[in-house]
Amino acid sequence: MRHKGWLALVGIAVAVVALPAIRHSTDFPMFYLIFLSGILFWTAQSTSWNILSGYSGYFSFGQGAFFGVGVYTMAVLFGRQGINWWVAALAAGLAAMLLGLAIGTIAFRLRSLRGEIFALLTLAIPFILASLARLSKAIDGGQGIVIPVPEAPSFLSQFQEFVFVVSGVVALFALTVAYVMQHTRYGWALFAIRDDEDVAEGLGVPTFFHKMIAIGVTGLIAGISGAVAALQLGFVSVEGTFNLDVPLFVIVMSVLGGRGHWAGPMVGAVYVYTLQNRLASGGFEGWSLIVLGALLVLVMLLAPEGLMAGFRRRPWLSAGIFIVIFLGLWLLGITSDPVTALALALGVTAVIAFIPGGGDRSTSSLVDSGEPQEHHAPVGDEPTDERAEVGRPLLVAENVVMTFGGVRALRGVSMRIHEGELVGLVGPNGSGKTTLVNLISGAFPPTSGSISLDGTGIVGARPHRVAHLGIARTYQIPRPFTSLTVRDNVAMAIMFGREPLGLDASRRAASEYLDLVGMGGRADAFPGEINLHQRQLLEMARAIATRPSLLLLDEALAGLNPVEIDNAVDVVRRIRASGVSIVLVEHLLRVVNQLATRIVVLDQGLELAEGEPAVVMRDPAVVKAYLGRQADAAGD
Amino acid sequence: MIELQAAVSGALNGSLYALMALGLSLAWGFLKVINLAHFAMILLAGYLTFELATSTGLSPIATIVVTAPLMFLVGALIQLGYERFDVSELNSLLISYGLLIITVQVVTNIWTADFQRLPSEINPFSAESLAVGSLRFPMPTLLAAGFAVVLVVAAALVLGRTYAGRALQAFGQDREIASAFGIDHRLLGVLLAGAAGASAAVAGMLFPIGGTLTPDLPFEWIGLVFAIVILGGIGNVTGTLYAGLLVGATSGLVAVIWTPSTSPFVVFSLVVLALVFRPKGLFPQKGG
Repeated sequence: MRHKGWLALVGIAVAVVALPAIRHSTDFPMFYLIFLSGILFWTAQSTSWNILSGYSGYFSFGQGAFFGVGVYTMAVLFGRQGINWWVAALAAGLAAMLLGLAIGTIAFRLRSLRGEIFALLTLAIPFILASLARLSKAIDGGQGIVIPVPEAPSFLSQFQEFVFVVSGVVALFALTVAYVMQHTRYGWALFAIRDDEDVAEGLGVPTFFHKMIAIGVTGLIAGISGAVAALQLGFVSVEGTFNLDVPLFVIVMSVLGGRGHWAGPMVGAVYVYTLQNRLASGGFEGWSLIVLGALLVLVMLLAPEGLMAGFRRRPWLSAGIFIVIFLGLWLLGITSDPVTALALALGVTAVIAFIPGGGDRSTSSLVDSGEPQEHHAPVGDEPTDERAEVGRPLLVAENVVMTFGGVRALRGVSMRIHEGELVGLVGPNGSGKTTLVNLISGAFPPTSGSISLDGTGIVGARPHRVAHLGIARTYQIPRPFTSLTVRDNVAMAIMFGREPLGLDASRRAASEYLDLVGMGGRADAFPGEINLHQRQLLEMARAIATRPSLLLLDEALAGLNPVEIDNAVDVVRRIRASGVSIVLVEHLLRVVNQLATRIVVLDQGLELAEGEPAVVMRDPAVVKAYLGRQADAAGD
Repeated sequence: MIELQAAVSGALNGSLYALMALGLSLAWGFLKVINLAHFAMILLAGYLTFELATSTGLSPIATIVVTAPLMFLVGALIQLGYERFDVSELNSLLISYGLLIITVQVVTNIWTADFQRLPSEINPFSAESLAVGSLRFPMPTLLAAGFAVVLVVAAALVLGRTYAGRALQAFGQDREIASAFGIDHRLLGVLLAGAAGASAAVAGMLFPIGGTLTPDLPFEWIGLVFAIVILGGIGNVTGTLYAGLLVGATSGLVAVIWTPSTSPFVVFSLVVLALVFRPKGLFPQKGG
């Protein structure tokens, strides 16, 4: 399965080297070489866009900025200063990469509206750069720059062959990077960011770092590719560089081809470039942007997963139909022009790809599997046997205050969690329980006060650092990575855990944690296919896969039926038995009574009481503040 | 004195940007749609104003009778489409980007990429100006500011004082709860999107009155308008107006203190700083 991708890449590499070599002996027309060079250029650009925007979900309208920086670095360094062209091309890549990192430094640090503000920022940047280039005499000054034909290596007899080979090398570089990323932690981090960035960060994924890598790689590829385009064009102008073509084309190509797969943008590039070419040769140039815009709208609405998903459902049928139609039309002489044959064959194949069904994974049912519960051990009201055995203090929170605007959610809470404890954190709605969990997991820093784990202060540390120190959490409403299987959800946590493993090793290790929570049988399901109880178990498996010393369970039993609750209680016991200290935020006092070694009661942002469950539950203040409303439930 | 003139003129210009930002801000805040097609409607309304005024000889302001209902319809139809396909916030960006590209190209095909300007006999405002003390203001700028302020205040009143406005606010805060209380979000959303479209028609009308039209105007607007949307606070109507005035005045001042060409860089840098430090806007609303 894995080497199919490598085979495809090697095939493209062979074609890039072989075509110029055999061109003279086979009478391969120059026009087609130029056509293929165009496809290679757009493959590099759209793959570059997809690494950031497809993989991580951060839509960029600023591809023209990276491209333009590449174009103008080449124009100034090679065209004006006469520096070696390939040195200029590398410099172009670095310059565009630096632009990307600068944008990322600003936009990726935002706490809210990250995706939206990033998209809008990238919309404005090409126009700022265009006016900068137009004004600055050192760059362009509004006159445009002529670029001489570079001295090509002697084995490439013609300039177009040189352009073809260089474009091919850049496209292969882009595809290889995209392919490798998709199959390593660098791509997986981005997929997790796309699905749920905050959860990814909380599981130990350094999201900022990985977004910066993505935007840096995107800029690097787009810059080098832009530099090569400048060589090919021979003359660059502000209007010709910072226009709408590049951002629109890369978006349409990637969306049409499929954003989740490394080869998607290449497929889209072949389609869109061929379509463009046929529209232009048919005299419909004024229509091409209209057609592309319409294509973007329709694909986004009707088939947002793109062509590649369809081809992967029916690989042999698609390939067969494509080859038969393409060769049939061409060889039988029905169309004399192979590009027209290509366009028609692509069109028919696209229809096949967009017919739904036929596959396995994408048409999963949402029906509850009704899997029988594995653990029916009745849990009565007898006290738990695993009291005491309290070790040294693990988590120490001192005088923690948290205010949101004018609301004081926590008004000075101090607590200690010792090794081996299972502390129940209870209190009425709005008492500050979830806020405390958010602070301990590093989701945001407290307004004042200190929190430390094992003596290490965690206030101000980013959540992935907190995760690596040994704190994991679950969410009240499960937040699985929806595009990954149950097993891969857990593997993600291992891959980015305290002792990170590779993808394959992480997948193997994931089984252990899934078995611990009794989800081993559903490892290959997608989160959309399992029920709420199973999703909550998945949350727990994913959290303990980070190998925490302290696990925060935020209402992990909410919305379950009694049998499921008993099962979940069993799972929590097993997790604790594996050596993890636990803070259990819970409304169900029956569960807290059974499990907790100690109870902390919060009310209106203050600690109201703490101690042994049996003692605390009889505290008049607790009964008044909290149990008064639920006395019936507690007394039965 | 020249600084005062520049700041006030800039603020007046900024109010036109606030008018463009108004519809976007409402759609983003209440409908969770980032509608780049809003710029397409402004552009289209601008060209329709130009076409109707030149072909009939009517005052460009009179054309609003046609363009406003038309853009109301367009805005409402687009919103119906978003509803029908359950488009997410980020996807609405890509889809409306497609719609914007289509519109720009259609406008180019019909009216060419050249500058279009209303003849002065149809557009009496272009030569007029108003003197206040030693300050002078061109009539088109005053008109734009007047329309902008009236529409923003009207929008603020409708949102704050009417049932529909309060229902929309409830819906913007929590869709599910609002729906559970019987708020017909579809109808409200479509009406709001239509009203945003009508405001786009008014903004579009002001461009041929004030100057020239080219098809790529939307891409000059986008940066500044979205900066105003975000600085004003998404969905915050009066904040949008303040942000427009502030950004316009800053831009005008920078242009006379340094040079006009530095103004976009300075304004943009300030906007970026503001985004980093105040991503929820400069004027936080109470209870938010």
